Amino acid sequence: MTRSKSRREVLLGAAALAGAASLPRTASAQEKGRIVVGTWGGDYARLLHKNIEEPILIKDGWEVVQDQAGDPERRSKMLAEQRLPRGTSDVQALSALNMFQMHDANTVLTIDYGRLKNAGNLLPAMKYPHGVGHIYSGKVGVYNPKMSPAAPVSYKDVFDPKHGNKLGIIDIQYQYTMVCAALAAGGTVKDLEPGKKLLLECKNAGMRIYPTNEAFAQGLKSEEFGIGVMWKARVVQWQNAGIPVAAITPTEGTLAYVSGFVIPKNAPNKDGGYAYLDAMLEKSAQEAFAVDMGYNPTVTNATVAPDLNQRIGFTPDEIKKLVDLDYDYMTRNDVALKEWWDKELKS
Amino acid sequence: MAAAGRTQLPSDETPTSLLSATTLVGPATLFVAAGLLVPILILLRYSFNRFDPRRMMVETFSLENYVKFFSDPYYTGVLWTTLRVAALCTVICLVMGLPLAYVLARTQSRFKNVLIMLVVLPLFVGNAVRAAGWMVLFGSKGFLNVTLMQFGAINEPLQIMYTEGAVVAGIIAVNLPYMVLTLQSVIEGINRNVEEAAFSLGAGPMTMFRRVLLPLSLPGILAGTILTFILGMNAYATPVLLGGPKFRMMGPLIYGQFQLNNWPFGASVAFVLMTATLGLTATANILVQRRFRR
Repeated sequence: MTRSKSRREVLLGAAALAGAASLPRTASAQEKGRIVVGTWGGDYARLLHKNIEEPILIKDGWEVVQDQAGDPERRSKMLAEQRLPRGTSDVQALSALNMFQMHDANTVLTIDYGRLKNAGNLLPAMKYPHGVGHIYSGKVGVYNPKMSPAAPVSYKDVFDPKHGNKLGIIDIQYQYTMVCAALAAGGTVKDLEPGKKLLLECKNAGMRIYPTNEAFAQGLKSEEFGIGVMWKARVVQWQNAGIPVAAITPTEGTLAYVSGFVIPKNAPNKDGGYAYLDAMLEKSAQEAFAVDMGYNPTVTNATVAPDLNQRIGFTPDEIKKLVDLDYDYMTRNDVALKEWWDKELKS
Repeated sequence: MAAAGRTQLPSDETPTSLLSATTLVGPATLFVAAGLLVPILILLRYSFNRFDPRRMMVETFSLENYVKFFSDPYYTGVLWTTLRVAALCTVICLVMGLPLAYVLARTQSRFKNVLIMLVVLPLFVGNAVRAAGWMVLFGSKGFLNVTLMQFGAINEPLQIMYTEGAVVAGIIAVNLPYMVLTLQSVIEGINRNVEEAAFSLGAGPMTMFRRVLLPLSLPGILAGTILTFILGMNAYATPVLLGGPKFRMMGPLIYGQFQLNNWPFGASVAFVLMTATLGLTATANILVQRRFRR
């Protein structure tokens, strides 16, 4: 005697079959364990998956899970988890300034470079004690050749009140903008007062402030303004999108932007964290990021095509003159700088 | 005897131990209380801490964050801007929403459901996406400016983006459906005969509105007003995207403090906003009810 299967039995059977079918794959994917990667979303996350995770780590038997969020949220999470013996991420993508801040807050591991087989290729400037530089670019002068026939050569030429409302800056880039203005006005990375004075002069002359990088690009495109500062990598992306913009390397030295990774002290899988750092330094991954994102490799063995290098890269002399933020100064004064920016400059 | 009498009540009137209202409401209430009140209490505690760039915050008990807020004209200015924008948007939503809600409530058209769907339609799109649409409309080379320039009405593009006007327009577009739907449901519950009775007794349309419709629809007006005012006070995406960097409201200010890892000050600003919103809505509620009870 047979009886028809109930709906519940059919569903149970289907679930068991699906589970059994996925078993070998799961086992294979977790052969070496799971790596949880804290990262920004969007293109960066997509390219991490495309250039590092899929071709190197997953192929090698790791399971990689991305925890996508903005860096303020992820930094807060790291601080909140600080007291826990086991955190929830194995590596975190942060800017060099944020890497320092997390190190300063005692939340990240000191990197043991002996555990990275690619460490020998890493540029010395990208070897932080508390984190590893992944990609870098620099804050260059940008201008619309149609609107400014004479190309600027320095930050001083860019932050010139004579540009009036044809000079644009970006609200969310207040730290780097203030340092660029300081360098233009004869200040240093830890003496921003001359830069503040210069920015106020530019503001009184009509300088435009855009909320985001995208709004800045839109302003450039519509020729609302024609001069400012921006990451060289982003300029390449804009040029590719048909925005009329050219870049110059400032004579004061280019303010560098480094994006890298740290391993939280309480990372559940530190081996996985090191594996991720090593994979991101692989020649193939570094070259792919240069092509896909316009940022420079941080390893010496990566080859960038000469025409691409001319657009995204820096000459050996320019690399020597790269200017880094004073991370300690910026960390201690960040809130005060932002208050000045909001209350004085934007008022 | 009395107890025996109670047990003979029809089953649907008998409160059972398992299915009583308390049992049904209890779990959800507990969940909301735990999920809402506990984080609020934690935030309140944080607001008395002190910010430290290295450690994010130092546990202490100080009012310095609140003193900083109320003693700095910049921060009080942000609060006033928020109150002004929220109040203006609420008034405009009420003025625009009431006639629309009345028509929707009273129409006998077979397209009534379609009309209601059209009111709800903007809610299908997120605030940020909707603001992006406004940006396309308001930009210096946006639809509005290009059209006006092509017709020769203006020579230079109007600066609409990054102004308070753009933010007000954006928030009204977000809040208007809430006002209309709230009012429409209440007006629908008012018997049409009372309006006709007023007319038959010689009242004109305005008198009928003032003496009959307005008092009867007061619960809906209050609910809609409170809803849109709260939404206006807490607006985030619209002020950021349409107001630009120089326009400040409380929502973006709070988020900015958390971005700087200044949780104690961010928490105190959040409490100022919450208290101002609750205080004003409660006061308005009491005043309006007293006014119309007479």
